[in-house]
Amino acid sequence: MKNTIRVQRAIKELTQADLAARVKVSRQTINTIESNKYVPSTVLALKIARIFGIPVEELFILEEGD
Amino acid sequence: MKQRFLFPYWSRYLGYACILFHIPLMAMKHLGTGRQLPPDGGIHETNGDHLLFAVAFLLMVIGLILVAFSKEKIEDEQISRLRLDSLQWAIYLNYAILIVSLIATENMGNHFMLAIDTWVPLLFFIVRFRWMIFRLNLSMKSDQPS
Repeated sequence: MKNTIRVQRAIKELTQADLAARVKVSRQTINTIESNKYVPSTVLALKIARIFGIPVEELFILEEGD
Repeated sequence: MKQRFLFPYWSRYLGYACILFHIPLMAMKHLGTGRQLPPDGGIHETNGDHLLFAVAFLLMVIGLILVAFSKEKIEDEQISRLRLDSLQWAIYLNYAILIVSLIATENMGNHFMLAIDTWVPLLFFIVRFRWMIFRLNLSMKSDQPS
């Protein structure tokens, strides 16, 4: 599964630390999600999508084989 | 994310203190009496010796538990995942050592089994969990744009 968090952060001019503080996780967690090393829970995915004001499907995209 | 059954962050330092205090007590136990623990784990020692052993043992166990199960500064779902993975590996290792010891040795003493069951899961869990957090921080630093 890939995601567009980095792009959305750039559009909203948010740093990883800003986003982490807003969804109440560590900066490491945001970093590992962005680099596709960690798949977040549904709750966290929905929280991040809400921050960017987009549907979760636009933020997290399934890949072949998922 | 709600975290139950975890000690507050500061209790980790209390745990380190307990582990540190345990060292001189164990040293006193070994040096003071001039002999090693008997193979039955010290249960039939004189009262004074046993009390010293029991206090040192409890300090070490309580210290390890506090270090292992205290919250991180930011306790989120990824930390919970790492915690669970590390606990799973610690249990695997514990039973692997017990099974191998059971097969490889003819007469495995109670003291050995007690020592394995007491120290291996907690120590391995702490080392693996801290190592995974260290690697997480390292990978984040390497991902930072220069």
